[in-house]
Amino acid sequence: MDASLLNIQPTTSEPIYRQIVEQLRRLIAGGQLEHGELLPSVRDVAGFHAINPMTVSRAYGIAESEGLVERLRGKGMAVIAMRKAEQSESHRLALLEPQLQALARHANELELPAAPVLRRLTKLLGE
Amino acid sequence: MNAMLRETESAIAPLAVSGLVHCYEGSNALNGIDLALEPGSVLGLIGRNGAGKSTLIRAMLGLLEPLAGEARLFGEPALQLSDAAKARIAYVPQQPEALAWLTAQQMLDFVGRFYPRWDKAFVTNTLERWQIKPNKLLAKLSPGERQRVDLIRALASQPELLVLDEPAAALDPVARRELLREVALRAGESGTTVLFSTHIVSDLERVASEVAFLHQGKLLMRCSVDETKERYARLWLPARMSAAAPTQSLSRRRHDDGSLSLVVERDARGAWPEAASLAGARVDALGLEDLFVEVAE
Repeated sequence: MDASLLNIQPTTSEPIYRQIVEQLRRLIAGGQLEHGELLPSVRDVAGFHAINPMTVSRAYGIAESEGLVERLRGKGMAVIAMRKAEQSESHRLALLEPQLQALARHANELELPAAPVLRRLTKLLGE
Repeated sequence: MNAMLRETESAIAPLAVSGLVHCYEGSNALNGIDLALEPGSVLGLIGRNGAGKSTLIRAMLGLLEPLAGEARLFGEPALQLSDAAKARIAYVPQQPEALAWLTAQQMLDFVGRFYPRWDKAFVTNTLERWQIKPNKLLAKLSPGERQRVDLIRALASQPELLVLDEPAAALDPVARRELLREVALRAGESGTTVLFSTHIVSDLERVASEVAFLHQGKLLMRCSVDETKERYARLWLPARMSAAAPTQSLSRRRHDDGSLSLVVERDARGAWPEAASLAGARVDALGLEDLFVEVAE
């Protein structure tokens, strides 16, 4: 994996370390990162994005404690990929939770009833 | 070797000030400032123009004598700093003026002799990358070029404490990113302690581990950049609910329609004030810049 694959937005209200963890979760869940693939070193990520190396270490530490990656001595962090079938549906759904909550909030603000929103969403999902 | 040295010295803050007071012709520039920097931390100092950032930095470094209070660098009083301590510190003022009769190269060669860890290769490479003609007189350089030369001077000395006053003002986006990268990597890998003032908040969000707001002569809040983003938010209440506003808030603004914007803080259990859960109330996460604007207005 290359450091440029991460997309860092320093000005948003989401701390950078969380942006990194979130993206790792997605890239791994989505299969873009395969089992055993090495993450870029802390230095590479910090250097490429001009961010504090401690922020990157913190993100990697969290990813490790979540079981997304493992520390290989002398090599760095390697992806532990779960095959999609092995991931529970609830686990994958949890990754969508922030977007679903935002959608629900917008719909409420627009005072839209659930039915038309769900109809449209169903259509978008291609059912 | 260096790591060992630093280990034994880790108890001594590279920079610490207590009770700093200073004023200019009646207006209070600094109104009792306490601040200490952990080794290896990167502190971003934000404040509006005229908030006293440069005054604070100069007082911290012993370049001006405050009316009251004390500044210490590596444990020594800032006003009577030993040569050994001076060699560990690099400072880049907003408008460097010293040694203007020399060329960039002459100045860098001259100054380099005073620093035991001077990185000559860094000087050559960076002068070229930042497109500065080494043989031009400093006095003939633009203010931006002048500041770039001074940044090179500061970084080449491989300081343990690096203090930058509005370093980004004179740099184009590419050079600025490069400077930030340099600052971030040095802090992370060599344990350089960095203090920089800026009003470009996004720079600070990239590399700073901590942030301090200087407002009306006081430090308003000081915490880690991540924590700041997670701990504070803007609570908006419509006019009919403004009576429910929490009494404790960092800032409070009433809009023309009677609605209220407050900057609120999570409590010890991580919950927002009660008013946030009322129907019609809105809680918006705040980026640092928004937070700064809300608090400094």
